[in-house]
Amino acid sequence: MACCFIIQVGMNKRVIQITGLVWTIIYALGIIWIYATQPRSLKEVATNTQLAAGVYEVNQEKFNNGLGLFRRDQFRAAREEWAAADPAQHDPRTQFYVAYSFYREGWGRTYDDDQLFKEGLTAVNRAIEHAPGGSLTVDDPDLQMHTATELKVELEEGTERSWSDLNPMKLFRQRK
Amino acid sequence: MSNIAERNRQLLHFIVLPTLLLTVVLLGGLRVDAHTKQFLFLPPPLVTLLSAALLAVLFLRAGALELHRWLAIEQPLLVNAAHLLTLLALFFASAQAFNSVLPEQGLLHGMFSFLFLWTLWTNQFAAFDARRLLRSLMVLFGTAFVLKHLLISGLDSPKGSWLGRLTATVLQGVSITGPGFAPATGYISFVALAIYVMALMLVMPPPVEVSSSSEALLLGDSVARTDSLNPRPEDNQN
Repeated sequence: MACCFIIQVGMNKRVIQITGLVWTIIYALGIIWIYATQPRSLKEVATNTQLAAGVYEVNQEKFNNGLGLFRRDQFRAAREEWAAADPAQHDPRTQFYVAYSFYREGWGRTYDDDQLFKEGLTAVNRAIEHAPGGSLTVDDPDLQMHTATELKVELEEGTERSWSDLNPMKLFRQRK
Repeated sequence: MSNIAERNRQLLHFIVLPTLLLTVVLLGGLRVDAHTKQFLFLPPPLVTLLSAALLAVLFLRAGALELHRWLAIEQPLLVNAAHLLTLLALFFASAQAFNSVLPEQGLLHGMFSFLFLWTLWTNQFAAFDARRLLRSLMVLFGTAFVLKHLLISGLDSPKGSWLGRLTATVLQGVSITGPGFAPATGYISFVALAIYVMALMLVMPPPVEVSSSSEALLLGDSVARTDSLNPRPEDNQN
């Protein structure tokens, strides 16, 4: 009887020690992760946790709202919706559309808005970074550029300075 | 009864203590931006790691940490591993406690850093026991907390206190404070320091041997009461 009691006490001790060790490691890793990812709010902590757990999903309703606004050329409002739909800026398709909205808003017949094009470039780079295999194709008949690479090249060319900028034929080009 | 006490001691020692220390590590670097109300997690600067190292030496010299009780060849690997993690957590909790009361940048950052290092360095040559060390640390952190979160934060006040205006006049062109933080930062720092002191009470052995728990309770000293929480080689044998 006494022997059983001693064994049980020993078992309990070991369980507590193992639990403590595992819990300490998990908590310490959690802190390192928080300091590495630098979340700016509790909501962002939750988003980062979803990302780490692989269960992050875009809010489809907000995405569709943004798409509707985008098609009506309300680009800023569309980006607001997409920012809410993809708060982690991790969904390649949403980031592609964000970049496209910067392109369409910044495009001009005589000159392009460099600042908007640069922001578009940042967004399209995010899309390429998070796309599986670094390649992204969006089948949307409303768009004239369907791959992230095409969009990236267009945005890069828009921010570059060259003699072709002085070509008067540029006045007849079309927005994509 | 002794079984329950034993289990509670184990729970405190292997689960509660590391949790408290790691919570200090988490909260010690947390700031809330005054304008955007967003979190900022500041990792411990090098000077706080140096301060934590000096403090660890002080713990050992004062007998507040008896290393042979924490890490011993006679103890099982599991216990030594858990103790090692707790000691690491203590080191980083100390660093973050300093981080919590250290101004982030500017002239005051340098002044506070120098004062911390100077105090810890001179304490290396003073006679200390665990209880006196704990009190000394409470005074050190308490003073730094009051200076940073009550007095100096007034310098960043948008309305500008008389102290702020006076200091700005005296130190024209010199950056004395860092970025402005929301009042919530002070509350977070207070909680972090309170938890840190609580954890130190669990870590530190009593200055005198207490023969029984009832005697410890009669002493009415929280440090003495924690006698049973310190690792003892015979407790850790499985």
